[in-house]
Amino acid sequence: MTTVGPPTAPATYGPPAASPPPGSAAPRHPPRHHWIVRTTHWVNVLAVAVMVGSGLRIFNAYPAFHRRGESFCCYPLEGRPVPAWLTFGGWLAGARNWHFAMMWVLALTGLVYLGFVYLHGEWRDLVPRRGDARDAWEMVKFYTLARRDHPRQGKHNALQKLAYFSMPVVGVVLVLTGLAIWKPVSLGWLTALFGGYVWARYWHFLAMLALVVLAVGHVFMVLAVDPYSLRGMITGGYDPTLAPEARNARPFHHLLPRWRSSPAPPPTGAEAPAERREEDA
Amino acid sequence: MTPRRHPDAAARLLDDAAARLEALDRGAPLGLAGRTSPLGPLERRRFLAAGGSALAAALLAGCNSFGPRSARGLLELAERANEHVERWLLRHTSMDHAPRAARIAGRSFPAYHISRHVPVWDERRRGPWRLEIAGLVERPLRLSLDDLVRLPAVQQRVNHYCVEGWTAVATWWGVRVRDLARLAGARPEAQYVDFQSFDADYHESWDLESATHPQTLVAYARDGRYLPPAYGAPARLHSPVKLGYKCTKYLTRVVFMAERNGGYWSDRGYEWYAGT
Repeated sequence: MTTVGPPTAPATYGPPAASPPPGSAAPRHPPRHHWIVRTTHWVNVLAVAVMVGSGLRIFNAYPAFHRRGESFCCYPLEGRPVPAWLTFGGWLAGARNWHFAMMWVLALTGLVYLGFVYLHGEWRDLVPRRGDARDAWEMVKFYTLARRDHPRQGKHNALQKLAYFSMPVVGVVLVLTGLAIWKPVSLGWLTALFGGYVWARYWHFLAMLALVVLAVGHVFMVLAVDPYSLRGMITGGYDPTLAPEARNARPFHHLLPRWRSSPAPPPTGAEAPAERREEDA
Repeated sequence: MTPRRHPDAAARLLDDAAARLEALDRGAPLGLAGRTSPLGPLERRRFLAAGGSALAAALLAGCNSFGPRSARGLLELAERANEHVERWLLRHTSMDHAPRAARIAGRSFPAYHISRHVPVWDERRRGPWRLEIAGLVERPLRLSLDDLVRLPAVQQRVNHYCVEGWTAVATWWGVRVRDLARLAGARPEAQYVDFQSFDADYHESWDLESATHPQTLVAYARDGRYLPPAYGAPARLHSPVKLGYKCTKYLTRVVFMAERNGGYWSDRGYEWYAGT
């Protein structure tokens, strides 16, 4: 949380530092996420769920990638449908109708989100920068108990940044490959860019898998590490003393509020990298 | 073979046809033997039957499988909006090309029809087969298969895009629908074309722009052989610019219309436009 504070924030963090002048009722923080981010997040949750479900139902109509009379190299489950309970839309036409309607919701909220993040400067919390690979490795070490203290972080830790940056990238791939298999003749150049219809369909499927893996990982980490962030994504409210860094929280470890503490003070020199990051931010 | 342009004058079409037919024969064996070749796989038919029963079940159930009932209006709105986008994207200059390395599907090309049995034109009962060009045209036509074959032919190796997601490559021989429209003199108010068949009540109507795309053919041969009954003999519609279900097989009538006329699958919940 340290990088979010005003530059004049004192060295010791915690509720008192961020609190308003005496007399106000409750400590006030700027919303964890802007209302545009919160809205597009939840609309996208719905849109992605419907897109994945209906997409899998469409896939089940012919759960293979090979061209008729050929074979396909790179999909081990060729010909095996996905379980019906994962699908949405009931039947092929229903699923297609949902897919081709919801794609607009997905694309538009995606554009609003990306436009906002760009114009409002939020991209700074998300775009990878030098040092993120090392910080991500430190997070992995922390989560695997190879490191005792939570690495210092900005709004998000380096693993989160990687995930939240990857999601829109995968989303763009999904939209482009989706257009390529929706209009393989009208947008033939786009389809050709992905290696033709068969491959574009395959990339569309793989990108979907990547998005599902990212989303499932995200939900797991929210529940297992930082359930308090749910409030931040709904009302915008967030208590920095409950941040994972302040609780020194790993998955299912230090989950309860009683582990709360002020985020660690800035390092005294032992952790120079974190310090440099703060200056960068 | 690159499809060549033909002279505009309708009278010269038939004169020209004989020479082209010879070229066609040299290019690949186009024998009647193909008409009796065995049936192809019928997976698609099974799937479509399953889709049909799913629809029936959905209509019977109080809570249908389309999702919330209130969403129906929005889905229809989206379909109309998508149709605008798709029509805007359609160009007569965007051509489909099957990948050079792709294999011809041949017998792996699924065959399907909606009748209980493979529809075969019964000459004794119905008289000789004719393709009727009718509706809003100056000169309604009744073409025999021989007439059709004598018209300027196009050979094209293209993808077949199925609504299910698979593709199949084949080489088709046929006459462009745009040539038939010119031959019959389609009137300007004819903005839609209905392609009707003798496969029960199967038909699908198209927008004029897609029907007159240069790759939209009334096809009578595939991979060098006349179509066998399983694949839509004597003639079928084929085009890479629409999904497979829009390409009526067992063709009997091409009707130019001022209004769209739905279609077999379009009336059952599949998109009417279904362009690629």
